[in-house]
Amino acid sequence: MIAALGLLIGLLAGLLLQPEVPLWLEPYLPIAVVAALDAVFGALRAFLDGIFDDKVFVVSFTSNVLIAALIVYLGDQLGVGGQLSTGVIVVLGIRIFSNVAAIRRHLFHA
Amino acid sequence: MSARPTTDQSERPLPAQVTMGLLDLVTSQSLDQDYVAVAERRRTAGERGADAPTDRRGIGTIGLVVIALFGALVVTAGLETARSADDRATGREELISQIADRRTLVEERRARVETLRAENEELETSLIEETSAGRALTTRVARLRMATGLVRVRGSGVKVVVDDAEGADTDVERVLDADLQKLANALWAAGAEAMAINGRRVTALTAIRQAGPAITVNYQAIRRPYVVEAIGDPDTIPARFVDTRHGAEWFDLQRAVGLRFTMTPEDDLTLPAAADFRLRYATSVQVDAR
Repeated sequence: MIAALGLLIGLLAGLLLQPEVPLWLEPYLPIAVVAALDAVFGALRAFLDGIFDDKVFVVSFTSNVLIAALIVYLGDQLGVGGQLSTGVIVVLGIRIFSNVAAIRRHLFHA
Repeated sequence: MSARPTTDQSERPLPAQVTMGLLDLVTSQSLDQDYVAVAERRRTAGERGADAPTDRRGIGTIGLVVIALFGALVVTAGLETARSADDRATGREELISQIADRRTLVEERRARVETLRAENEELETSLIEETSAGRALTTRVARLRMATGLVRVRGSGVKVVVDDAEGADTDVERVLDADLQKLANALWAAGAEAMAINGRRVTALTAIRQAGPAITVNYQAIRRPYVVEAIGDPDTIPARFVDTRHGAEWFDLQRAVGLRFTMTPEDDLTLPAAADFRLRYATSVQVDAR
């Protein structure tokens, strides 16, 4: 409930404020979103597993976003930004999928 | 994040990342291991009865903040993507219109090139025509100048020397203007192309006149003996000269009166140019040079 409220607040804030993203940050935004998505789904699954811990969530969220952005930055500097982004997306995507599958099992007991 | 194996090290000596394939590992560890580890620690602590860490199963304030951050991040990313898509679409349209513009420009230029090329060809043709016409004109002018006597000419011909009879007392025994006129006419008729009397070029405007005792050619007095040089075929001029009426008359004069007359063929005669004359009243009727 609180989580849903926080999400709503964040969405509204983003919509209302419409923060201007600096140009150098722009390429890292999508990958940061995917990393954050992974952290959020992981948290949701942990919550349903009954082992949620807010500290772990905060840490995993922050580190996920930062590391994802860092990897893409590094890739850009090395000239393999696209490939590294793809790698990150693949790993995070697999995690998101399996986490969502676990969540689904919890919710529908299937 | 540590990927520490959750189970006891002694039971399973090989860690998961060694025994499993990469994708399997990623799938099996999709849940952050930290959650498991923390839960484990909390459970053991609870079992030991020690001071259990505070229950952090709720989302908490900081979790709320992070969730809000996540929402803002998602919205921002979405907005940014939409905006850049807009930008891209605008840029694309701009580019397309630019391409169309340039294409029209290229078409125009191409048409212009065609026009210019055709014009060029036309001009070239006319230039060639002009050049050949000019050349023909130049040739014609040169020919006409030779014919009219305005330039020095050179060639084979005959040299006629006439003089009064020896010991001439009366005008009859002298060479008169009429005699020279006859001689000139006979030479013209015999095929002479250019003529000079005592170094004075005979042209269409030349007058051979008697002025008292002297004969004038081109209004300049000349003295005997009279030397008439005529350019033409030295082989045919003498024969044709005799056939003309004036030529025959000259032979009569020579025989009856005793005027002296000699005609010798010459290989190389050079005739001077006549003084340039200006036509003040006559204008050309035929304008076309050809």
